[in-house]
Amino acid sequence: VEPIGAAAPLGGVHDLVRAAQGGDPSAMDELLRALAPYVGRICGAIALDRGDDAVQETFIAVLRSLRSLRDPDALHGWVRRIAVREAVRAARPGQTVAVAPDDLRDLPATLPDLAAVLDVRAALAELPPLHRAVLVLRDLDGLAEAEVAQLLAVPEGTVKSRLHRARAAAREVLSR
Amino acid sequence: MSTIDWPTARLTPIARARALAAGLPGAGYAETTIDRPFVDAWLRLMDLERSVPAADRLVRSIRVREREVLPDGAERLQVTSRSSLGPRQDFDVRIEPGFCLMQETRRLFVVVMAAEPDPHDPSATRYAHVEAVPRRFARPLGRILDRIVADDAQGFRRHLEA
Repeated sequence: VEPIGAAAPLGGVHDLVRAAQGGDPSAMDELLRALAPYVGRICGAIALDRGDDAVQETFIAVLRSLRSLRDPDALHGWVRRIAVREAVRAARPGQTVAVAPDDLRDLPATLPDLAAVLDVRAALAELPPLHRAVLVLRDLDGLAEAEVAQLLAVPEGTVKSRLHRARAAAREVLSR
Repeated sequence: MSTIDWPTARLTPIARARALAAGLPGAGYAETTIDRPFVDAWLRLMDLERSVPAADRLVRSIRVREREVLPDGAERLQVTSRSSLGPRQDFDVRIEPGFCLMQETRRLFVVVMAAEPDPHDPSATRYAHVEAVPRRFARPLGRILDRIVADDAQGFRRHLEA
């Protein structure tokens, strides 16, 4: 399976982003359509039942601040950061989204041999939102551990060790 | 990389309208509930030649000049609107189930209509209406447009419930 970043229809978006930044409503809408599958997967896996809310808040934030994106080629990473933030926020209403190393303690792991897993949602639901975020970024989006660490503002070693624990815990959840 | 079937979330039509309203300077935005099932309400709403003049006091007529189905399944229309105040406006229109974007060809004006089944009442429809002058100088128009858009949303509700 391709990483969703590669599968998302984001190639050649430079002109589209520029047009949307210039206030063209059709370009804004085309951008939403192009990004929706990718954002939907990030938000769905992290925010679960509140995934649709997270998608909405992501796109509101994206279009409100699109002019601040200086390099259109950085769109993908920029949107990813917003989507993760909004998904974690939606999954933890009323809480801030700052990530501390302790948040990743007891992190469950990449879901093992997941093709056979029937109830992924139930397994994910047993993990705290930030743990789901690590799994999503590493295993769904295909980011390197260093990239996950940078995005979540934690040391790479923290991501690595917590990811191992996470995978073990997820394996346990899925084997019940 | 895994082959896991991860849960996914959707950009719903009304969420799409809300996001566009947030990105358009000075957009007017309104939502209402229509006491009709979604499919019935949407089909009547997308009969633009009837629904728009019936709902919007400032529109005298709408004429669909061209209609085509796009490769992604959406429908693209070219329509001409004549205002009660006189001027004629040409619009490019994109229609998908539950979502319609009408953009004036010179980008002077844009209208978004979005609808989806009411999550609390399957016999009702949630409807969102956006209008904007998509120019930076138009930001102060937002409050005025909010009132106009609220009137238009109620106009569509009355038309669809009649």
